[in-house]
Amino acid sequence: MTKEEVIKIVNNVFEELFEVPPEKLAPEARIFDGLGLDSLDTVDLIVALQKRFKVQIREDERVRNIRTLNDIYEFILTLEQEQAKKS
Amino acid sequence: MQLRRVAITGMGSISPLGRGTMALTEGIEAGRSGVRYMEGWNQYTGLRSLVAAPAELKDEKQIPRMARRSMGRMSIFAAQAAQDAIADAGLDPAFTSSGRLGCAVGSTTGSAISLNQTFETMLPDKDLSKLSSMMFFQCISHTASMNVAQYLRINGMVMAPCAACASALQAMGLGYDMVRLGRQDVMLCGGAEELHPTVTGSFDVLFATSVKYNDQPQKTPRPFDRDRDGLVCGEGSGILVLEDYDRAVQRNARIYAEVLGYYTCNSGDHVSESNRANMVTCMREALKLAGIEPSQVDYVNAHATATLQGDKEEAEAIHDVFGSSVPVSSLKGHLGHTLGASAAIELSAALSGMQKGMIYPTLNLENVSPECAGINHVAGSPLKRKGNILVKNSFAFGGISAVLVCRVP
Repeated sequence: MTKEEVIKIVNNVFEELFEVPPEKLAPEARIFDGLGLDSLDTVDLIVALQKRFKVQIREDERVRNIRTLNDIYEFILTLEQEQAKKS
Repeated sequence: MQLRRVAITGMGSISPLGRGTMALTEGIEAGRSGVRYMEGWNQYTGLRSLVAAPAELKDEKQIPRMARRSMGRMSIFAAQAAQDAIADAGLDPAFTSSGRLGCAVGSTTGSAISLNQTFETMLPDKDLSKLSSMMFFQCISHTASMNVAQYLRINGMVMAPCAACASALQAMGLGYDMVRLGRQDVMLCGGAEELHPTVTGSFDVLFATSVKYNDQPQKTPRPFDRDRDGLVCGEGSGILVLEDYDRAVQRNARIYAEVLGYYTCNSGDHVSESNRANMVTCMREALKLAGIEPSQVDYVNAHATATLQGDKEEAEAIHDVFGSSVPVSSLKGHLGHTLGASAAIELSAALSGMQKGMIYPTLNLENVSPECAGINHVAGSPLKRKGNILVKNSFAFGGISAVLVCRVP
């Protein structure tokens, strides 16, 4: 998947699930302070990303380092590369 | 200890006839039925009743996402009804955070749709990892009360009497006691429920639902009628504002009614069958506590869901207590059985009608069943009569009876 495709899907999750207006979805947007998510929302974010990208995130410690939208894009791309290598 | 008087100063409802008391009463006065054929329900193998009374879910996004995310459909109904009730009562919205306002909102279960989605997501693999964090909050038994409290920032008591069809009346009884005792100055009281094929299915497997009118949905349910064949589930929410009477007078609030008495008891007899003797006891004790003689009652708003056994037992019980002169009707012909919300929605309508000098009829009561005869049924058009004393009945699975007595000024 290209980065553009990843961005489109991740942003769609934020628009549909968290009702964030598209104009706020800049790569540098901070998920908790800027986009208004809280700890309960991160559970749903993980569930949605796992479903959309067919990856496992829940137990991955790297999730704790995510602060911005761009962090999510890069994380997903990394996971996809890791999955591709395994197969 | 001096017990306070309690007034009903506000009402809000989402019902199969629309949002608000005006939509509710206009619909009833126009003889409208909220019952529809439910598309897609025939996919459930074994579900025989394919009719229900849905409410319209709209304007839900006016509730901010952070408050709305833990709300299933029924909690959205409850939040909207509660908000409308507060506005109707003319209460300062900030008063909800004073600690002197609480809520008691009941339902049969948590959100039925969310419960089904939870199990459909999790099963058959028993995989919890796909579940949303909010599912628990939508499914939990006190979801309606909890969500009303969170949305309106209520700092007083938050209670959730879950007593199936008697939930809203027990909530009003709780609220009445809390205000009477001075524990709270105002209580938002009522119930909520939402439709799902499994909700109707719960009654369907007991042969308690209406199955003969799937092709004529508005002919059912038929409380007290010779051709009744069971209940029709409905959905929505009703919330009433119960307030310290003197406080209401002091702030020039509109007083819909004064609550004079409340009683609830149990038959201890059977989980599903209605019990005439228990109904009689409950009505008599509620009247005694209200200081009202049966002869003083102007209207009995019945529970009557159109089940064969339940309507018969209630008609006989009403006759035992009141004889054959007091007007009686059930509003479930118009609304279906809104279960946990029923007593609150129906009481709102009944009080509004009485304020206008009207006793609303039982819709679809065309031929009184011989086993339900012996009481004064109001059928056809509203009975134009000025009356003051109303008795509201609610009877639920588990042998629960609950009765509220009110005086309309």
